[in-house]
Amino acid sequence: MNKVTVFIQTHGRPDIVEAELAVAATLGELHDLLATSGIAVDAETVIFIDEAEEHLSGERHHPVHGLKHGSRIHVGRCKRIAVTVHFLHKTAEHHFPPGARVRAVKAWAVHKFEMDPKDAAEHVLQLCKSTDRPSSDTPLHQLVHGHDCALCFDLVPEKRVEG
Amino acid sequence: MNLVLPPDRLLIDMDLAAPAFRCGEFEGRWRLVSSGWPHVVIAVSAPPRPSAPLEFGFRFECSGYRQTPVTAQPWDIEAGTPLPRAKWPTGKSIVPSVFRPDWKNGHCLYLPCDRMSIEGHDQWRTQHPTRLWQPSRGIICYLEQLHDLFHQSDYSGLLGS
Repeated sequence: MNKVTVFIQTHGRPDIVEAELAVAATLGELHDLLATSGIAVDAETVIFIDEAEEHLSGERHHPVHGLKHGSRIHVGRCKRIAVTVHFLHKTAEHHFPPGARVRAVKAWAVHKFEMDPKDAAEHVLQLCKSTDRPSSDTPLHQLVHGHDCALCFDLVPEKRVEG
Repeated sequence: MNLVLPPDRLLIDMDLAAPAFRCGEFEGRWRLVSSGWPHVVIAVSAPPRPSAPLEFGFRFECSGYRQTPVTAQPWDIEAGTPLPRAKWPTGKSIVPSVFRPDWKNGHCLYLPCDRMSIEGHDQWRTQHPTRLWQPSRGIICYLEQLHDLFHQSDYSGLLGS
């Protein structure tokens, strides 16, 4: 049976778990894999593949769609993450799937605030009330803490390294 | 006789086999080219630009890993030599502030997470807190910065173009 390597990221856990799953895996097989990896799944848990808009749902025998070699499997409780971005005196909000990356938020914000490409290249997203600037490949649910399915960013100028 | 490897070597070997590094390889962000203690050569992907490659090689020196930051030198993977100045990446503002062939004779990058460059730059600890070396994340924090410099910053191609 053909297998793919997948990377499981769970809300509230900083580590990534690497595992193998059949290309044509069912929901039941995925749940079994999570259980053997020590990841608890209950009625409120939602699972997303990569940056998919919709979470997996169905019966145990239903196939898992969208799996590919290197897929990320996001396990958490948020069906959407409410993202607020501040830029100068403007604020914008949008809801993203949990597996969306920080780069997707920046691309959306750049479009929303009508920034030109040069300005966009010199700005980065920084978590509000912090100095944290997560890398652009970070999935959003990895940044969410507690039970809030919300994130806040400031779009700030990137500083040249000088001195 | 059992050969006891030093902890810094064990740690870098462990991190290069860890899911965080392998996930980056699967996603095409970087790839391990070679490893010969205390050096590791890793290629980081770059977006297409006229006359520029789709990846840049870096030779990391990893002595003292992870408590001690690594230092990275742009590297010609084919030739196994330091990257010639004309083949260094550049850009409009941010990227050229990091890739400076004149700094330390091109032996390292002008980044706060670089072991050679942080020396004498204590002000960077407050000016660039998110660019500092993070012992808990190891080489991943350096690679993520390089990848973002190419993909989310003002990278424009080669210095010699």
